Amino acid sequence: MITSTPAVAAAVTGVVGVAVTALLDLGLIAPVALAIGVAVAAACAALLGPRGSGEAASPLHRRLVPLVAGALAILLGLLTAVIADLWLIEPVAYPLGALVGSLLGFWLHRRLGTLLSLAISAVAIAGVLAFALTALVLLVTGVDPVYTFGRMLSYGSQPDSIVTIINTATTYYLSAVAVAIGFKMKLFNIGVDGQYRLAALLAAAVGGAWVLPPGLHQFVIILVAVAVGGFWAGIAGYLKVTRGVSEVISTIMLNSIATGITAYLLSTDRLAIEIGTNNVGTPPIPESGWIPGIPAGFMGADREIFGLSLLAVAVGVGYWLLLNRTRFGFDLRATGQSATAAQASGVDVKKMVLISMVISGMVAGLVGMPQLLGDSHYYALDFPTGLGFTGIAIALLGRNHPVGIALAALFWGFLNHSAQILDIDGIPKEIAVVTQATIVLTVVVVYEIVHRWGRRYEQQQVGKELGRVKVATS
Amino acid sequence: MSSTQSGGGAAPPAVELRGITKRFPGVVANHDINITVRPGSVHAIVGENGAGKSTLMKTLYGMHQPDEGTVSVDGQVVRLHSPSDAIAHGIGMVHQHFMLADNLTVLENVVLGAERLHGIGARARARVRELSAQYGLRVDPDRLMEELGVGDRQRVEILKVLYRGARIVILDEPTAVLVPQEVDELFDNLRELKREGLTVIFISHKLDEVLSVADTITVIRRGTTVATVDPSGTTARDLASLMVGGELPVPGLRESTVTDEVVLDLRDLRVEAADGRPVLQDVSLRIRRGEIVGIAGVEGNGQSELIETIMGMRPAVSGRVELGGTDITGWTTRAIREAGIGYVPEDRHRHGVLLESPLWENRVLGHQTQPPNSKGLLIDRAGARADTERIVAEYDVRTPGIDVLAGALSGGNQQKLIVGREMSHDPKVLVAAHPTRGVDVGAQAAIWGHLRAARAKGLAVLLISADLDELIGMSDTLHVILRGRLVAEADPATVTPEQLGSAMTGAGLSSDDEEPGPREDEAEA
Repeated sequence: MITSTPAVAAAVTGVVGVAVTALLDLGLIAPVALAIGVAVAAACAALLGPRGSGEAASPLHRRLVPLVAGALAILLGLLTAVIADLWLIEPVAYPLGALVGSLLGFWLHRRLGTLLSLAISAVAIAGVLAFALTALVLLVTGVDPVYTFGRMLSYGSQPDSIVTIINTATTYYLSAVAVAIGFKMKLFNIGVDGQYRLAALLAAAVGGAWVLPPGLHQFVIILVAVAVGGFWAGIAGYLKVTRGVSEVISTIMLNSIATGITAYLLSTDRLAIEIGTNNVGTPPIPESGWIPGIPAGFMGADREIFGLSLLAVAVGVGYWLLLNRTRFGFDLRATGQSATAAQASGVDVKKMVLISMVISGMVAGLVGMPQLLGDSHYYALDFPTGLGFTGIAIALLGRNHPVGIALAALFWGFLNHSAQILDIDGIPKEIAVVTQATIVLTVVVVYEIVHRWGRRYEQQQVGKELGRVKVATS
Repeated sequence: MSSTQSGGGAAPPAVELRGITKRFPGVVANHDINITVRPGSVHAIVGENGAGKSTLMKTLYGMHQPDEGTVSVDGQVVRLHSPSDAIAHGIGMVHQHFMLADNLTVLENVVLGAERLHGIGARARARVRELSAQYGLRVDPDRLMEELGVGDRQRVEILKVLYRGARIVILDEPTAVLVPQEVDELFDNLRELKREGLTVIFISHKLDEVLSVADTITVIRRGTTVATVDPSGTTARDLASLMVGGELPVPGLRESTVTDEVVLDLRDLRVEAADGRPVLQDVSLRIRRGEIVGIAGVEGNGQSELIETIMGMRPAVSGRVELGGTDITGWTTRAIREAGIGYVPEDRHRHGVLLESPLWENRVLGHQTQPPNSKGLLIDRAGARADTERIVAEYDVRTPGIDVLAGALSGGNQQKLIVGREMSHDPKVLVAAHPTRGVDVGAQAAIWGHLRAARAKGLAVLLISADLDELIGMSDTLHVILRGRLVAEADPATVTPEQLGSAMTGAGLSSDDEEPGPREDEAEA
């Protein structure tokens, strides 16, 4: 086997992927060409040289990772191509997708851990199961599932739909990350819903009452939202630490209280003014406090992507860094795994509970911001509700992993949005809810099964390795 | 070996394992195991940890199926697909790691999952009392589990098995947590079980105990049965050589390295339980550079509280803890660890490792704030990983790699990793609770070697152990703890395990229960 530097190997992989795709594109339809191209590139990556991570010893890793990396590469390559195709010509878009897919495949093949690969396989299995169940439901109700899914896919991949999906996914993402921070600590923050509504209301009131220079204005609004969210979740954390109140109970209660407070404040006697007919809301935030959208004309969409979708990306990156690269994140994960071991290692578990609850609430405070600063500019009776609960489902689906949550949020947004078209065909659009519900259930179950199996397999592998050592020394 | 001794040739064997082979992919954990257990006997299975005893017992208890061979119970070939199958055939198991719910009472723990037998109320309580009295288990059905020491917990585990109607009781390393007197008591219980016609399968590596209680001994080495012997015709030495193919390691120190410099100084510590009951009283203790101070005591007499107080996990009501002249009373666990106290916890799984995390993250655990694990507020992955590789090599942790989850390793290897990690930060004091519990002979010798080497370099060690040979062999000074007080000090050079054992139960080495006596001795020393 040729040992080469990673850069050279990556370049070779990329070139192979693009070349194969471009060639096949002449004879086959583009997506198939791309799939084959990326697959060939992934095979190249598997053959080329040593891997980065130190897990190569395990046979499970050797078998599983190339498969998962290959499949993911094809999927992501296709996605890139489809989106690029919106404003580029096909012979350019697909090789471009192939390039992205091949390089990603190379990178994933080197960096993907065994556990993560297992998790991805679990989610994939669960996805297939969920779709099978949904198809079954459709069949029973006398609707052609292939036609239904086809309609959803074609409608959901239109430029305007993509923008809407990204925008809803942004909100979902923030909400799910807030929940996931709690999950990592074995804390169940059901209160994201109350936290973001209260935060958005107060932030909108502050933003509407003051006029500040642009930049500072947005900053103050977001700061208020983060502070309110953190404070509201902090109450639950404080109660848990000092009085032993389960955060599940207290956050549910706090949701109700938040609803009450919002209703009380959102009246014309207090924070709100008359907005249109039958609607009251906070005074609109002046333009200095808006966050402009990202024009999506390049892919033929009339709508704009929320400017704060970049904030969601930043939160995701920050979440990952915090968990995996910082001491604080290590302590947090350790506490989630075993509070006793964490305590013995020097972690102040109570402080940890309080801090992680506050951080979770701070992120929750951001949930309403893209909508508030990018679209409605005021908090009114019609401000979206229930996002906190959607966040729980998405965090479960994304297995608390920053990228997983992103994909889950996009998927959720896609189902929600693309199901709208079904009404026109007289197919009940609630079918999307069926899919969402089944996929969360199947993911949780399949993930647990795959995880256990993986753990047992690893134990056997360790036994096997040690068996070898014993034979060698005896 | 054959069934002629007591049962009268006609009775079928209680358990018969024939040609049991269990393979895991690529490795043969058990190979052609043949064991015949006579009904109404105590049958010991001895072997090093890792020799395949656990795999075999899991087969017998239905936790997995053998690839080849048959299991017969009372002469009938049975297929055990799960532990409940095993229980239905009258096979019960007392695990080495207890499976008890801390927040429930003894009664609730016993009836949990067996509610159908006698309900959960008065009938069940009466049955528990009856069993407890019958076998002298001395368990109070209404006490909370979390209040009980390890010894009591074990008795509850045995009771659980009896309650479920087991006629064949498997005990996995039951004496590891007991003092000699308790071991004798346990053995009396076992003989009682035997008289009642029950069969006991007893897993151990303590050969003297095995010789004193077993009717038959089967030795397992490298996954297969190497011999079945009669205890009357064999010696510990013979068994040892059968077991490991050589001599057993003996704990021991060479010349004294004790200096005058006091490193850890405990003064008049008093610690109370949540209900205000004192769990530690008037504990004063000094450990000098290069000294190993052993604490002997029956489990549950304040050892755990002593450790937790030193480590800052439990507040002292009064008294002081000084490390090298600095008062560290009331410091956080992290500050205490950073100040140079290493900690090998009593219960690895609860306090020592993250079972679901890779080895290198477990190397970081407990030393999150120190190099090579972190740089500022960030975890130094490269540094921690490189240092984990070093520990794995130096402390002979048997693992395919440092990304393996800690839960995949055997207990001995987890322990070696913990010892390695604690030693890697040049501690001034090491608090070592049961450092060799449940580890194999090789690892045991290695851990003793590491303790000796560190002591020679000036480490002060607080050694808490249930293994009296270990305590006597490895300590420079020995204290006996009873009901939260240090009641006696013994010279490890002259004391015998029996003397120590009687002091541990309050019969007294020198003084009885007089409070000031031993403390004045201590002050003079």
